[in-house]
Amino acid sequence: MKTTFDTQTIELNPSGENFIAVIDGKTVHVQITRADAANARMDLLVDGQRVTAHVSSDMAKRWVTLNGQTLMLTKTSGAKQGVRHDHAGGLIAPMPGQIRSVAVSVGEAVKKGQTLLTMEAMKMEIRIQALKDGVVKSVSVTQGQTVEREQILVEVE
Amino acid sequence: MFNKILIANRGEIAIRIMRACRELGIQTVAVYSDADKNAQHVQFADEAVHIGNAAPKESYLNMDVLIQAALHSKADAIHPGYGFLSENASFAAAVEAANLTFIGPSAASIRAMGDKAESKILMKKAGVPTVPGHEGLETYEEFKKAAKEIGYPVLIKASAGGGGKGMRVVHAENELQEAIELARSEAQNSFGDERLLIEKYLAEAHHIEIQVFGDHHGNLVHLFERECSVQRRHQKIIEESPSPLLTPELREKMGEAAVAAARAVNYNNAGTVEFIFDPKLSTFYFLEMNTRLQVEHPVTELVTGLDLVHWQIRIAAGEKFPFAQTDLHQHGHAIECRVYAEDPSTGFLPSTGKLLQFIQPQGPGIRVDSGFAAGDEVTHFYDPLLAKLIVYAGNREDAIKRMKNALNDFIVHGVVTNMDYMHAVLETDDFKQGKVTTRWVDTKFGEWNVPQPELHALIAAALTDVVFVGGKTQPAVSNETDPFNPWKQTGNYRN
Repeated sequence: MKTTFDTQTIELNPSGENFIAVIDGKTVHVQITRADAANARMDLLVDGQRVTAHVSSDMAKRWVTLNGQTLMLTKTSGAKQGVRHDHAGGLIAPMPGQIRSVAVSVGEAVKKGQTLLTMEAMKMEIRIQALKDGVVKSVSVTQGQTVEREQILVEVE
Repeated sequence: MFNKILIANRGEIAIRIMRACRELGIQTVAVYSDADKNAQHVQFADEAVHIGNAAPKESYLNMDVLIQAALHSKADAIHPGYGFLSENASFAAAVEAANLTFIGPSAASIRAMGDKAESKILMKKAGVPTVPGHEGLETYEEFKKAAKEIGYPVLIKASAGGGGKGMRVVHAENELQEAIELARSEAQNSFGDERLLIEKYLAEAHHIEIQVFGDHHGNLVHLFERECSVQRRHQKIIEESPSPLLTPELREKMGEAAVAAARAVNYNNAGTVEFIFDPKLSTFYFLEMNTRLQVEHPVTELVTGLDLVHWQIRIAAGEKFPFAQTDLHQHGHAIECRVYAEDPSTGFLPSTGKLLQFIQPQGPGIRVDSGFAAGDEVTHFYDPLLAKLIVYAGNREDAIKRMKNALNDFIVHGVVTNMDYMHAVLETDDFKQGKVTTRWVDTKFGEWNVPQPELHALIAAALTDVVFVGGKTQPAVSNETDPFNPWKQTGNYRN
């Protein structure tokens, strides 16, 4: 099973009750010693080394706290059905807010970095820009509309 | 003593005040906006009153509705907390006019300290050191003359001001005219008052404040200092007591100055006199007085052993201090870190969302004042303060170590927090040596880059879907006969 988080890919294969993980050509042996769902905590033995991690998932996002450091990773492949992600060209609202203006329409050619729409959240203007060159496939919002976090705003193909 | 108190606030401070009320045997009334219907402070109170829409102007800042809520619920006093209406003299007056007790200073004291120019004149009269400067100037020529006399760089600021609005640093005479015009229009727009004052600008300064407390029987004491120099964009993030900079002599001098400042406005209840401290010359100047309970009051509570909120309530009810200045002492060292839902890698942009996990640290000398729990929504309507993490230890070095561990053990998922950032600040030599000035975070600490996930983090992330599906634990491999199977140690089986 291969999973990509942001730019890093990890391969995880069951081996008996344990797992073999491969990252950047490096292979490690992973044993789950304890899994506590109520506290979202997992205790692992990675090549014999004790590791305690707290993990949470929210659609494509994975929150991981390890040694006091918290990271938010975004799953960009191998995602489960129904999980929305933005690498395919669908741009999502980074936080709840209101659409201030929509600058493009369906069928329009856009360049990478071009502002497609602007939204207002926490009294600030946020620009939603194209991640690549392409054609606008859909525009799901209109000016003045209130949007939720991770709601798909525009899709570029 | 009061029977019932309405807390005109929300979040951690509302809960903090309710806790004190419970301990004193007083009933509590919470107020809430549409956005806070299910908030922790509502759940914590004995009663709760809905006061309006999510926007603060239509709820937590609506004086009439708050006073009506207090009268309707038969409360006999209102505690304003900090922020919102806590330093609004009209509110304090309106509360008293409705035959309720305002838990805080008098409207007159709040008003006297509310205007920067007026309060500065008052302080000079009271013999409190103020930053060299002038008030009441009008023409450009007057400002030019004053600036030359004080020496550049100078600071132009709004008389009615606060929050950095209408404030300009001027490094040379050729920038002066434009700075005055800009500050004047900002002051007019923000406060409806274009009056400005000019003073010496101290680039390498510390922010040290003194907690003061007065009863209604003429007793006025100080509860020592708090060092609050770790700030980002003029907002404090780490505070401590004692300050690593003060000698006993300086502490005594600053304490006396703070008491003199409070006495000049007939102050009673809890208040804070803020000073700018110049570490090169070891001199201090009055900055302003906050006429309310401070966010960082817990560090003072830990080093003095006094419960400030208890005393606020008891004094408002007419009780007398049983102690004099000489009975008060600082013991050990306390540090507070403000845990904000904000992203240090995007210039501290607020982060909103649902809290997926919220696990507070525990252990000796650790206190968490929090207004949230897992499952709560952090909205964009209010201040992004999630919790205050406060530690206490015998000395500063141990307190820093304890804080680093406590930050590591505080798990927040769902919103980005500033905890890793604060941890990094605590690790610097400048912090360890007490050399952090108010502009240090903005100018010296530099940009914050989110670290790349290392091997173990990626493994844990990848295992999330295998181990926890839909919030429940799912066995990767079924083995019903194995008594040591880790999957059996989850859920209801925990003890």
